[in-house]
Amino acid sequence: MIDFIQNTIDGVMIGSSYGLLALGFTVIFGVMRRLNLSYGPTVMIGAYFGTVLYLDFGAGLLAVAAAVVAGAVISGVYVERLCFAPMKAGAGIASMVSSFAIWMQLEQAAVLVLPRHTYPFPPLATGPALEIGPLLVRPDHLIMLGGALLLAAVVQLALYHTRFGLGLRAVIANPIAANLVGVDVGRLVMLAFAAASAIGGVAGFLVLAVDQQVTPMFGMWATLKGLIAMMIGGLGSIPGALLGGLLLGVVEVHSHWLFGPQVRDLFAYFVLFAFLVARPGGLLGRTADVELSHRV
Amino acid sequence: MLDVSELVTTYGKIEALKGVSLHVAGGKITCLLGPNGAGKTTLMMTIAGILRPRRGSIKLEGAELVGLSPAKIVSRGIALVPENRLVFPEMSVRENLLAGAYQRRDKSEIAADMERMYARFPQLKERREQLAGTLSGGEQQMLAVARALMSRPRVLLMDEPSLGLAPLIVAEIFDIVAALNRDGTTMLLVEQNAHMALKVAHQFFLMEQGRVTFQGTPGQLAEDEVIQRAYLGTRRAG
Ligand SMILES: Nc1ncnc2c1ncn2[C@@H]1O[C@H](COP(=O)(O)OP(=O)(O)O)[C@@H](O)[C@H]1O
Ligand SMILES: [Mg+2]
Repeated sequence: MIDFIQNTIDGVMIGSSYGLLALGFTVIFGVMRRLNLSYGPTVMIGAYFGTVLYLDFGAGLLAVAAAVVAGAVISGVYVERLCFAPMKAGAGIASMVSSFAIWMQLEQAAVLVLPRHTYPFPPLATGPALEIGPLLVRPDHLIMLGGALLLAAVVQLALYHTRFGLGLRAVIANPIAANLVGVDVGRLVMLAFAAASAIGGVAGFLVLAVDQQVTPMFGMWATLKGLIAMMIGGLGSIPGALLGGLLLGVVEVHSHWLFGPQVRDLFAYFVLFAFLVARPGGLLGRTADVELSHRV
Repeated sequence: MLDVSELVTTYGKIEALKGVSLHVAGGKITCLLGPNGAGKTTLMMTIAGILRPRRGSIKLEGAELVGLSPAKIVSRGIALVPENRLVFPEMSVRENLLAGAYQRRDKSEIAADMERMYARFPQLKERREQLAGTLSGGEQQMLAVARALMSRPRVLLMDEPSLGLAPLIVAEIFDIVAALNRDGTTMLLVEQNAHMALKVAHQFFLMEQGRVTFQGTPGQLAEDEVIQRAYLGTRRAG
């Protein structure tokens, strides 16, 4: 029983990193109805900005965080200009394929600049695990979970209680109608992309500061986990993205504990598959989102 | 007030507007009639800046609108109530109205305008927190009109506001059109229902296959034999 609770707690902690990654994905998917496969790699580019600053200049944690966010935003906007802005409505496949090409490009660029496989990343918190009765919780995990909750709340507030969010939701509903009420659709989409990249940057920073290392594989890992968490949680829903991430983490940790590391990912894909079959809208998605997602 | 001249708009190789000119007089209701596919919606979308014309000009009180972004055109004083309304279904009525004021920054004035809309459209007031997608067709049309008015347009364009609505609701929409005009709103109204349009409009243009083929007053329209047969259904004496 203690093991079960401990595993669930660990799962929630790991899952908060997936939820964080899914948040940025959700913003992009919500706005564009298109998959940005190079989302993870843009976060990885940010991570490399951060690690260079840390290694070569001895930068502190906040400066590293700022560098990760800046790097992610710059490469995210680069992807938007290249793969999304020029594509007409309905060209979702073209955007997806070109974002895959950019993924490869970004990964190669990272390997060229920093050829070693792993680089250290500054830790969030180094103290010993907190003991709560028989249970253990890592302090950096707590910070990551707190960060995920806070970021989700900020994104939700921005979407539903600001002028920018109103404009963005208008674009999501109908770009022509949004244009007609005076929303500058192209500009707003680019800003949303930058915001999603910044969210990805914060997510990447928290996740890497817990892992304390960065590799070129991080990009693929981030795209994969973020995508699965988003699909489980519900396309286009911010609380859904977070919940989907937590659920994914809990399933992974329990299956790892019960059946060993080899089946961990198998179970993750099984959960995704079960959701796609039984509840294609995800935990909190609506069917309307599913219909639209066919356009991807 | 609004002057369109020699406007040509194309979809690929198809010329949907083949040199359209028309004039919308300030304070008046100008009505655009014409069969399906004549190019009425294309004209409205071109004025609103959603479509770019190949040639021609669109002037609002002498200032050229061609080349401006749709957002700029809204802030210059043009608002379009689009065909099929296009309300934001997942937003509340209140949020739809707020979105209509997207280009404005005067918060207190926006709030005051919102109250004016609720006074003019009491159904919307009752449903202010309801999602727009759950409103009836007529209510959605009123919301689309109110949303457009929230930008404080100098010219209000309406593309077939009666489309798909029951006759009683259509009459209500036309009452609103007439009332808005009494309060000084300049309107360009696209309408297939010529009988209804005759009751409110001051000036008519008929469009067919991308061209203006008739223009005149309600009296001239009602006298025209061809229009009688095609758009008014019956022949009436005098
Ligand atoms: N998106 C489009 N692509 C290609 N042709 C179009 C498009 N929209 C309209 N058309 C064509 O342009 C012409 C005018 O259409 P439209 O402006 O919608 O007419 P109306 O509003 O008078 O019914 C029609 O022949 C129509 O088929
Ligand atoms: Mg039309």
